Amino acid sequence: MGPAEPVAQSRTRLVLLAGFGGLLALMAVGGFDAIQVLRQIQSRNVQIRQVFLTRNRALEHIRSSLYLSGTVVRDYLLDPELAGAADELGRLRTLRSEMASAMDAYGRSLTAGEAEPVQALQAGLTAYWDGLEPALRWSPQQRRRQGYAFVQRVLLPRRAAVLDLADRIAALNEKELNGGDERLEEMFGRFRRRLLVMLAATLSMGLVLAAVAASHILRLERQSAARYQLVMRAQNELKELSARLVKAQEEERRAISRELHDEVGQSLSALLMELGNLAAVVPRNLEPLQRHLESIRKLAESSVQVARNMSLLLRPSMLDDFGLVPALEWQARESSKRTGMAVSVEADEVSDNLPDDHNTCVYRVVQEALHNCARHAQAHSVRIRVRQTSRHILLSIQDDGRGFDARRVRGLGLVGMEERVQHLGGSFQVKSEPGRGTVLEVELPVPKELAAERAPEVQNA
Amino acid sequence: MPETATRPIRILLADDHTVMRNGLRLLLERQPNLEVVGEASDGRETVRLAESVAPDVVVLDIAMPNLNGIEAARQITASRPEAAIVILSMHSDESYVIRALKAGARAYLLKDSAEGDLIAAIHAISEGKSFFSPAISRILVEDYMRQLEQKHVEDTYELLTAREREILQLLAEGKTNKEVAAVLNLSVYTVETHRTHILQKLNLHNVPELILYAVRKGIIT
Repeated sequence: MGPAEPVAQSRTRLVLLAGFGGLLALMAVGGFDAIQVLRQIQSRNVQIRQVFLTRNRALEHIRSSLYLSGTVVRDYLLDPELAGAADELGRLRTLRSEMASAMDAYGRSLTAGEAEPVQALQAGLTAYWDGLEPALRWSPQQRRRQGYAFVQRVLLPRRAAVLDLADRIAALNEKELNGGDERLEEMFGRFRRRLLVMLAATLSMGLVLAAVAASHILRLERQSAARYQLVMRAQNELKELSARLVKAQEEERRAISRELHDEVGQSLSALLMELGNLAAVVPRNLEPLQRHLESIRKLAESSVQVARNMSLLLRPSMLDDFGLVPALEWQARESSKRTGMAVSVEADEVSDNLPDDHNTCVYRVVQEALHNCARHAQAHSVRIRVRQTSRHILLSIQDDGRGFDARRVRGLGLVGMEERVQHLGGSFQVKSEPGRGTVLEVELPVPKELAAERAPEVQNA
Repeated sequence: MPETATRPIRILLADDHTVMRNGLRLLLERQPNLEVVGEASDGRETVRLAESVAPDVVVLDIAMPNLNGIEAARQITASRPEAAIVILSMHSDESYVIRALKAGARAYLLKDSAEGDLIAAIHAISEGKSFFSPAISRILVEDYMRQLEQKHVEDTYELLTAREREILQLLAEGKTNKEVAAVLNLSVYTVETHRTHILQKLNLHNVPELILYAVRKGIIT
C-alpha cells in the first residue's frame, strides 16, 4: 500500500480519539453542570422558603403584638383600679420595641413593590403608638371618664388600620413566595432546555463518531482482507515457485544425466574401441607404447564407470525409459549394495506410463526415504510397496529402524517430500515412534485417462 | 570358434554414434570370417536394413533416435527370427538386460567392453548360445547373491532335480526344446514338461527370465 495510507490512518485515529474525548468531556461537563444547577435550584428554593417564613413570622409577631398591645391598653384604660398598672405600661413598652425590631427585620430585605406598604405599615404603627401615647399618661380619673370612648374611637380603628396594612404586606409576601416559585419554575425550564440541547449535542456527536468509527473499522477490515489475499497469493506463488524450482532442477538433472550417459559415455566407449583398434596395429614388441595404451585404456574405462554412476545417481535412465518400477528396483538394489540394508520393492499393477511428474515424485520420495533409513534410522530392512488403484497411486515405505517422534520431528527432508506430494494434489503421512520403525505413506491422485489403461503386467524384482 | 566356416558371418551395425560405428567396423573387419553388410544410425533404418540385407547378426545400440534398440530388436525378431541380435549398450542395469532378452536379443554387451567381447559374442550367438559381458554377469551374480543373503530365502535352485538342472542350462544357452530333446535323448514332450516344472519351481514366467536367472546363478556367462 502507498505511503499515504499510514498518514490517513493516523489522522483517522486522531479524529476518533478527539471525538471520543470530546464526547466524554461533553458528557462530564453536562453532568457537572446539571448537578450544579440542581444544587442551585435547591438552595434557592430553601432560601425563598426561609425568607417567606421569616417574614411571615415577623408579620405574625407584629400582628399578635398588636392584638396583645390592644388588650393591654384596653385593660389599662378600662380598669383604673388595676393593681399593676405600672407593669402594664412596661409590657406595652416591651411590645413596642419588639414590634419595632420585627419591623426592622422585615424592612431589611425588601423588593420594589413592598417598600411603599412597609413604609405605610411603619407609619401606621408609629401613628398607632403615637396615638396611644397621650392616653397612657392619663390619670385614673381621666381613664375612667374617657377610657371607653378612646378605646372605641381611637384604639380599635387604628389597630384595624394597622392590621389591614399587615394583611396587605402578608399578601405581598405570599405573592413574593409565589413569584419565587415562578422563578424556580423558570430556572427549571432553562435547565431542561439546556439538558435537551446537551443531550442532542451528545447524541449527534455520538452518531457522527459511530459513523466515523464504523467506516474506519470497515476500511480496516477491507485492508486486512486485501492483505490476507496478498499473503495468500504470495504463499501460493512461493509454492508454485518452489515447485517450478524442483521441476527445473529435475530437468537439469535429466539433461546432465543424459549428456553424461549418451555423450560422454559413448565418446569414451568409442575411444576405448579406437584404442583397441590402435593396440591391434601397434607391434607387440613396442612395449612402452603398449603400456601407454593400456594405461590410457584403464583411464578411459574408469571414466566410463564414473560417468555411468554419476548419470544414474542424478536420474536413473530407467525412469524415463521404462517407468517407475524398474527405477525403484534399481534404487533398491543400489541402496542395498551401498548400505547393506535389505530393500524390497513390491509393485502391483503400476502403469509404466505414468505422467513424468508422478514418476519423479514417487522416485524422489523413495530415494529420500531410503537415504533417511540408512542415515538416521539405521534400519536393517526396508519394504517399499507401490500399488495403483483406479484413482490413486499408493506408496508405502516401511522400515525397521529406530523411528522418531513423528509429531515433533520435521526435517529429514520430510518437508520437501511433502511439498512434492502436495503439489500433485496427494497426501503424505509419516507414522513413527521411537523404537518402532517408520512408515511413510503417500497417496497420489492419477489422471483419469491413465486410470483407465492400467498396465496388466505384474512386475517382478 | 568355427574354423570351418566357409561363408563369413554377415553383420548389420546399428549405432547413432558415427565414431563408435567406425570403430566397430574396423574391429570386425580385422576378423577373417566376419563381414559388415550394413550400417544404420537409427532404429527404423535398422529394421528396414535387417529385411533387405538379411544379416546373420544385428549389433544394436539401445539409445537410438526414431526407434530405440529394444523396439527394433522386437520387430526384427518378429520379421526375421533367424537373425541373432547382440545388444551393445551403455546401460548396465538388469532392467535393460531383461527387456533386451524379452525383445529377442541373445547377447548383451557393455559398450565399454565391446572391443574385447564383441567377437566372442558374435561367434557365441551365431552358434545359438547366449552371451553377456563379464561385467554384466558379475553385476547380476553379485546382486543375486546379496539378495539371497539379505532376505534369508531358500535358494530355489536347490529345488531342481539333476535332470532339470541339465535342461535349465541347455535352455539358458539358447537351445530350443527340440534341440534339448536331441542332446539328452528325450522326447520333446518330456522336455516341455521339465521346462514347465523348472519355471514353476523358480517362479519364472518365460525363457528370457530363465536366461537371466541362469546368468545370476553363474550357470552360463
